[in-house]
Order: sequence, then structure tokens, then C-alpha cells
Amino acid sequence: MNRKRIYPAWFLLPAMSVFLVFFIIPMAVSFFFSMTVWDFSGFTFCGLDNFALFFSERSLSHSVVNTMIYAIGTSGLKVILAFFIAVFLTSGIRTKNLIRSIVFFPNLVSTVAVGMAFKALMHPTKGLFNQIIAFFGGHGPDWLGNVDMALYSVILTDVWKGVSVATVIYIAGIVSIDKNYYEAAAIDGANGWQKLKNITIPLCRPAMNSVIILSFIGGLRSFDLIWSMTGGGPGFASDVLASVVYKQYAAGFYGLSTAGNVIMLILIGLLAFPLQKFLLSKEVE
Amino acid sequence: MKRKKMMGMLLTAAMVTGSMASAFTCMAADEKPYDGVNLSIMIENGTDESSYQPILDLIKEKMGITVEVEFKPAGSEGTNLIKTRLLSGNMTDLMIYNVGSLLSALNPQDYFIDMAGTDLAATFDDSFTQAASFEGGLYAVPAGSASGGGVMYNMDIYEKYGLEVPKTWDEFIANLDVIKEAGEVTPLIGTFADAWTAQVPFLADNYQVMHNDPAFAEGFTSGEKKFATSEAAFRSWEKLEATQPYYNEDYMATTYDMGCDMLANGEGAHYIMTCGILQNIYTLYGEDVVNRIGVFPVPGDTEEETGLTVWTSGGLYGNKNSENVDAVKAVMEFWTSDEALDVLVENSRPSGPFHNGYKLPDTVFKGVKDQMVYFEAGKTAPALEFLTPVKGANCDAICTELVTGQTTAEEAAKAYDEDCLKMAVQLGLDWK
Repeated sequence: MNRKRIYPAWFLLPAMSVFLVFFIIPMAVSFFFSMTVWDFSGFTFCGLDNFALFFSERSLSHSVVNTMIYAIGTSGLKVILAFFIAVFLTSGIRTKNLIRSIVFFPNLVSTVAVGMAFKALMHPTKGLFNQIIAFFGGHGPDWLGNVDMALYSVILTDVWKGVSVATVIYIAGIVSIDKNYYEAAAIDGANGWQKLKNITIPLCRPAMNSVIILSFIGGLRSFDLIWSMTGGGPGFASDVLASVVYKQYAAGFYGLSTAGNVIMLILIGLLAFPLQKFLLSKEVE
Repeated sequence: MKRKKMMGMLLTAAMVTGSMASAFTCMAADEKPYDGVNLSIMIENGTDESSYQPILDLIKEKMGITVEVEFKPAGSEGTNLIKTRLLSGNMTDLMIYNVGSLLSALNPQDYFIDMAGTDLAATFDDSFTQAASFEGGLYAVPAGSASGGGVMYNMDIYEKYGLEVPKTWDEFIANLDVIKEAGEVTPLIGTFADAWTAQVPFLADNYQVMHNDPAFAEGFTSGEKKFATSEAAFRSWEKLEATQPYYNEDYMATTYDMGCDMLANGEGAHYIMTCGILQNIYTLYGEDVVNRIGVFPVPGDTEEETGLTVWTSGGLYGNKNSENVDAVKAVMEFWTSDEALDVLVENSRPSGPFHNGYKLPDTVFKGVKDQMVYFEAGKTAPALEFLTPVKGANCDAICTELVTGQTTAEEAAKAYDEDCLKMAVQLGLDWK
């Protein structure tokens, strides 16, 4: 009886030990160090001071709000835009293979390169965007220099770059829908909108859920694009959790930076798990 | 004459002091004491080559040491790299890096050669010695010259509008208003795309702070004085706030290099920076242009309060865990010798006086001559980061917030105090 139970457990050992050494132990250690002020030569225990500081200082706590705006903004836009692009690209248009490649192209470029390119495009006086607006007689905004706009400008760039992956997932989902449904609907006299609403959307739900989860978590921990475009600025206006953690580390506040990482872990966990559960419960069999 | 005297002094000193003696006497005998030794040095990316390469060439020629240059990124990324390499025991033999508050964050006693008590150390002035010291040890020798920080102004624009060099803050604002109303050029150049430049107007006001509250730096280190509550220190934030209306429209997207262009081309009238910028403009535009750039300090509220805030030279550090510690020490000594400085000033114009009393040549830029008036009158004070180990890591972001109108001077001063608290906690200072 006992032997039967233990026997398969041995097979778990290699995977478990890797998991323990590389994931569980570092996590426990970082929980500990988030409650200390440490540098490379030692540490002093300080309880929850780091967490208290993180939430009391405006420049730090503000980043939690920005992270949520960023995650919801990028994820929402990607979910909607990518769906319509995918529907368009699975329809009977001729050049769809070419267009599919073009849509995927931004994703092949390094994020930092995208950030630098868009930073140049969004330059308030010399950038292409504002020159085009000026050509038509308008006065373009200061995309990255305006305090109220900077974060949203980065969100738009992130969507431009990230919409392709979402599109590919959607395409896979839509293509796998059985054609019989559409034929049956056509026989019943359904128009295009009805097919979309009653067949495509419900049946590509699993794909949509993957897109939501992936882009939402991606948004929560986004760093590279924000860093290369605004560096968190102007001031702290577009700082998110990941950039704040990086800044604290660079400044030598290792304890505070570890605490920021723990907060990020907890936040992602608290949001992602219930979200996934909720979405899965909505999937049609 | 002075050079001979100095050399003589050094030689006498060197004879008495064991290990160093060998380096100097050998050099005097024109041998190459370290022939074939290879060293490495870490220098910030973008440093003007003329400020170090001539000395390295001379070291190769005189001492036989080949020094290989490695570059590090600027700002906090560079600091990160240095900390990582120090900790992993993988550091270069030599390094040029800031002295002052950034030094104290490195645990220098574990990594760098302590120069305290040597005869060489005695030749440096107090401002450098204080800035390069940490808990009794002296960990660097000056890598270049000091540099004043203040308002660089385009003299052609001043002539055109008939402006006088302002002696008080109100006169400065009045000048800015004249240029703003004329509407032709930018009154004050802002280059906030390079975030570090955002804090210079604030930091360069330190003479005023130290003049009105001489105990501020000390009180700040011990946690008794704050920016929000000290009248003199708070005034710096108010001044920064007052500059708000005068920047170029695209100041959030303008970089330091573009700022140099704007000042040199006469697209902008003022740029608050350190005098190192003059060398940059000289390299890009030549002698005639750079000598049309004048310098005055960030003015105080009265003429009395107007003096120059000085940035101490960067330090040349020696890795004490290097395989060739003697060669490293010899390079550090040679670097500040008159022989090396002669070559240095031939190739790169100094942006201020040297820390060991080396006499500046007459060829220095107009702007440097402007600021020498304040050095000669004794109206200078080091920037705050050289007087206290505490410097907020987010100083530039807090300044940017203020200038972009997200905060008021009161809020910015409070935010900066909070930011400094984090540094104090990390340094183990007892602030509450």
C-alpha cells in the first residue's frame, strides 16, 4: 500500500528539486530580504517598513495605479483590435498571407528599438507625427512630454507592437471553428453580423481568454518599452511597478526594491488567478 | 619655476616613502619601471577623448604601461555596473568616477587603494579631499579639474538685446522676460530628455544655501535640517519653480547635445549647466564660438548671496585587489603630476582650477575666466553632493515634476526630503 504510493513520487523528484532550488527558495529568500535594509555586506531587519514606505510615498504608490492603467489599457485594446484584424484576415481576401506577415512584423523588432523609434516619431517639434499634423494645419501634442499623455502614448505603442501576437492567437481560434456552423447559419438566412456575434465570438472564446490573460499579465510586468520611451517620466508620471523596482535597485535601495518585487508578485497573483478562473468558467463546452 | 619646486618637493618626499620612491626615482632615471605591464581603466561612455587619451599615451611612453580603456554607461546604469563588477571581483584596475555622495554608496574601503596620509594626498585642496574621503580613507586622486556650475549665456544675444550680466535673481528673471517678450529665441534651454540635466539648476544654487545657512550640509547629514523647513534650502526650490515659463517648448524631448547646439547657435540665450559644456562646444564649433559663451553663477537674491557652486573633479580610483597594485599607484601619482597636466591642458581645455594648485594656462575659455573671478574672490562653495553622503536618487525626477508643473515648490521640497530619507536609511544614518 505504502510502497505503491511512494513509488510514483520518485518520478517527481527531479522536477520538484529544480522547482525548489530555482523557484521556491529564491521566493522565500526574497520575502525575507524584502523585510530588511540590505547591501552586499550585510542586512538589518526592519519589519514591514519597506512596504509602508512603498505605499506612503507618492512617487512609489502612484506606480501601482499606473501599472493597472497600463495593463487594462493595453490588454483591452489588444483584445478588441486583434479580434477585428483576425476576422478580417480569416475572410476571403486575396492578399491575406502578405497582410498577415505585415501585421506580425512589429513583433519581430526588439522592444527597445521600437521604443527609440517611436520616441523619435513622437518628438514634439521634429517628430514625424507632429509634422504630419502640422502639415494639415493642426498643432500636435507633446506625446511623451505632456504629463497627462505620456503613459497613454506608451500604451498605444505597446498595442502597435503587441497586437500581432494576439491576432495570431485569434486566427488560430477562428480557423479551428467548424465551417458547418457557418453553412448552417447561412441556410437559416443569417447575415454577417449575426454569424460573427453568434458563432465566431462564442466559439473563439478560448482564444480570447488566452489573449486576455497573456496581454494582461504582460501589461502588469511591462518594463522595457516604458523605460526606453520615457524612463518613467516626466517626473514620475509614467512610472510603473517594474520601472520603480529597477530605479530603487539602481539607486542602491536593495531592500525597498525587493519589497517592490514582492508587491508586484502578489499583485499579479491576486489579479491573474481570479481572472483566469472567471474566464474559464465562461467558456462554452 | 613653480614646476621645478614642486617636482623637487615630490622627489624629496618620494625618496623617504618606500614603495612610491621606486616609481619616481626610476622615472627620473628615464627607465621604464613597469615595462610590459597591462592595466585596464573604466571611463564613462561619451567622455571627451582628449581628457584622458593624451595622459594614457604619455604613461605608455614614460612608464611602459599599456592601459586599456573600457566604457561604462552614464547614470544609474553605470553605477549598477560598477557595483556588480566590484562585488564579483571583476573590476578594472583603474576607474574614473564621481567623488562625493556616489562614492559613499560603494563601500570604498573594501575595493579601493587608500591614499590617505601619503605625500601626494597632501597636495590636494580641502574640497577634493573631503569629497573623495569616506570614513577617514582617501580613495581617489583628481582625474581632471574642478568645474563651476552656473548659467551659460550667449553673449551675442546679450549684446543684441542690450542686457547686462545679472547680479541678483530678480535681474536674471528680468533678463529672461526681455528675451521671452521679444519671442525670437528661447530664454532658458531645458534638456530634460537627458534626465540628469533637470537637477542642475537646483544643485547649482548651493552657494546661496551655504552662504545663508553655513551649517546646512552638516545638519542635513545628521537629519536635523530639511529642504522643506530650512529657509535658505527651500529658496532653491522656489527658484527652480520660477524658471517654469522660460523653457523651450520641446524641453522634454531635447537632449544635452541638442542643448549645446542651441546655445552655440544662438537659438537659446541661457543654459544652466556645469562648465564642462564649454569643452563640448569647443570640440563641436571651435574657438570663436566658445568664447562667445559667458558664465555667471545662479544669482542669489542679493549681490552678497551670489557666488559660484563648484563641482569637484571626478576621481581616479585604484583597485586595491589588482594584480599590479604598484603600477596602479604609480599611474595615480603620475596622473596628477605637472608633467601629465601639461599634456592634458595642451589637448583639452580645463573647465576650472585644478585641485593641486596647478596654474591654469592663459588659453582657457572666456567662460572659465568669468568663473575664475569667483574663485579668486573666494566666493565659491562645493555642490551639496560633495558635502554630504546623502543625495536623493530621484532628484532629477522631482525637479522635472516641479518644472512641468505637476508639483509646487513646497511639494517638491517635501518629496525630496522623503527621497533623501531612503538614502539615509540605506547608509545607516539615524534619521527620523
